[in-house]
Amino acid sequence: MANKRKLHFSRTLQVTLIAIFALLVTGQVFAQDPITLTLALHWEPSFQPTQEAFDQAFMERHPDIRIEVIYNTWGDHNAIVPTWAAAGELPDIVYTHGSRATPWAAGGICANLDSYIEATPEFDVAGIFPVALAQYQYQGSQYALPYDHGVILLGYNKDLFDAAGMAYPDETWTMDDLREAALALSIPGQQWGFGGYYNGISLAGEGGVSFLGPWGGASFNETEDVLLFDTEGSRAGLEFWYSLMAEGAIPNAADVASMGGGQIMYTGMDAMWAMPSWETPAFHDNAGFAWDVAPWPTGPAGRVTGAFGSGFCITTQSENPDAAWLYLSEYLSKEGMEFMWGSTGRGSPARQTAYQSWIDSELAPEHASYYLDALANYTVNGRPFQSVTGPEIMDVINQNQTLLNAGEISIDQFIANVMEQSAPIFAREQ
Amino acid sequence: MALLPKQWRNLTPQQRETRDFYLMILPWLIGFVLFTGGPVIYSFIISLTNWTGMNTRDWVGLQNYVELFTVDPLFGTVLANTFIYGTVSVLLGVIAALGIALLMNQKVPGISIFRAIYYLPSVTSGIAIAIMWGWMFNPRSGLVNAVLALFGITGPTWFTSSQWAMPGLILVSLWGIGPNMIILLAGLQGIPQHLYDAARIDGANRWQEFTNVTLPMLSPVLFYVTVISLIGSFQIFENVLVLTNGGPGTATRVLVFDLYQNAFVNSRMGYASAQAWILCVVIMVMTWLMFRISRRMVHYEHGA
Repeated sequence: MANKRKLHFSRTLQVTLIAIFALLVTGQVFAQDPITLTLALHWEPSFQPTQEAFDQAFMERHPDIRIEVIYNTWGDHNAIVPTWAAAGELPDIVYTHGSRATPWAAGGICANLDSYIEATPEFDVAGIFPVALAQYQYQGSQYALPYDHGVILLGYNKDLFDAAGMAYPDETWTMDDLREAALALSIPGQQWGFGGYYNGISLAGEGGVSFLGPWGGASFNETEDVLLFDTEGSRAGLEFWYSLMAEGAIPNAADVASMGGGQIMYTGMDAMWAMPSWETPAFHDNAGFAWDVAPWPTGPAGRVTGAFGSGFCITTQSENPDAAWLYLSEYLSKEGMEFMWGSTGRGSPARQTAYQSWIDSELAPEHASYYLDALANYTVNGRPFQSVTGPEIMDVINQNQTLLNAGEISIDQFIANVMEQSAPIFAREQ
Repeated sequence: MALLPKQWRNLTPQQRETRDFYLMILPWLIGFVLFTGGPVIYSFIISLTNWTGMNTRDWVGLQNYVELFTVDPLFGTVLANTFIYGTVSVLLGVIAALGIALLMNQKVPGISIFRAIYYLPSVTSGIAIAIMWGWMFNPRSGLVNAVLALFGITGPTWFTSSQWAMPGLILVSLWGIGPNMIILLAGLQGIPQHLYDAARIDGANRWQEFTNVTLPMLSPVLFYVTVISLIGSFQIFENVLVLTNGGPGTATRVLVFDLYQNAFVNSRMGYASAQAWILCVVIMVMTWLMFRISRRMVHYEHGA
């Protein structure tokens, strides 16, 4: 009897201990807070529901991770992120414009992603366009990953071409064809044959490639420590575009100030313009005319156009870099890119396999496949993107270009000024 | 009170007053040290480094200051632009504010409505005002050039012309004269009537009343308004950012815009901090000069 009682007590004790252990374990699980990942993005309100939908699906797949998004405006984001860094308040993942990748990698904001990329072969980094990846590499390592890599093509107003009885631009067009059509379609002060890149001639960044490259020119050398405006090719490019401006085929500074930049672009006053793929949703929503895109015309030195993009990095201050990588690897996977940017038409995905979803989207133009063709065959990244002095040099170029656009200095003076004023900046950095 | 140390309890009334004074200002003092004084000192320390705003932060001593005055090709232009904008906009602004204050000091029906109307621009957002003035100065469709056209004058291209961008900015600054007008109006209303009566008895006309009574009696207020306006005008930023972005070329590149560009675009926080301290010194010197000049020009009424 005593033994029976002892056995019963022993069993009861065992069951109780197991139950307590089980309770402790499950309690531990339930008591554990989910990891919170913070993302700093810049999406406009109309695109935020897409982000929320992606995050909701991610959190359902990974119930131990919670996503919190901070939305900055695009204009403020680049100034806010370094401020967060200085305060030790960086979110886990930040939107990283191509121009910020090097400064933020060098400045310790973005973390090196090499080990994560190597450990995740299913992420298929090779599926991302190499030209896009290159923009986020610093000292041979990948510090951010692109979601969109936009190319500049020739946008055109079909209505104006139709009204003039002219054939649309196509893959046979050269810069001479562009000039001829631009002059034919210009009405001084009212309509411009070529609107330029955001209503102007672009001399650096991706615009610099498209506007100078067809003549063999460039704004920066490969190492971004010398300006190349004084080369024969760059000078020929400058002369081509500024002669068109002088003839009233490209809006000058006073025209742009008078009409307002957006107005000229969207109200159909430009017959043609430099059209980056990321601008297509805005044209779809705002342009009150029929439009399409054609390949960037061939110049005397061949066909070349500029590209630039945006991506994301995991910050060095992230307390959950593994979870951040898990998020980023799904966000920038083929399916992630298709869901976020491809099928919505919001941006041309940086992955070849996801690109078709954008071409098929409602917001992409009829000949959107020309963008893919450009990426594969004649795209060069806009410079600067690999030097920390890039913004300062851009500032020098912009200052002098405002004078050139206003007709206050000549092309020779412009070249002399930018070469002279950039020299001490390059020298300081070396 | 029992919680207070013994030496705090046995105080003379004067010592108690001193203690209470410090206790009362303590919240402000803590706020000042933490949020104003601290950052000011920290910015000076930063100005002695090459901090990018991110992780690079090496001690460079006075190198940033030396570079500003010996290497930076823009700094001289930036200082000159700041000085031109500051002095001309303050001069015109104070004259305009005084003129309107004199008008608003008339005893006519509905004058308080006019006073409110003239003050109203001062309560609108700075960015909104800048955008509005961008439209007003639009070379083709703006109101300013439309008015000039009525007189047969072809208006300039304003903010896209390096000759006209700075005059345009100075004209825009006149929009904010409301507060100065109110201060000057208060000053005008504080001038005793018997001084005007005495001047009239002496045969003074309106102009003589203005130069011999109004101006001397208003001089302390005018001096205050001028100093405060000058300090503000040397820190002009938002109108430049919105209307001209410092251009065309460097025509409107002023010190605070250049500082912002260096700090938040070029990632040269140390250099920008040095610029901020130069600005501080410039404003202090200008203010000191004005106080020196004021000894001969400002009339303070003494006596009980």
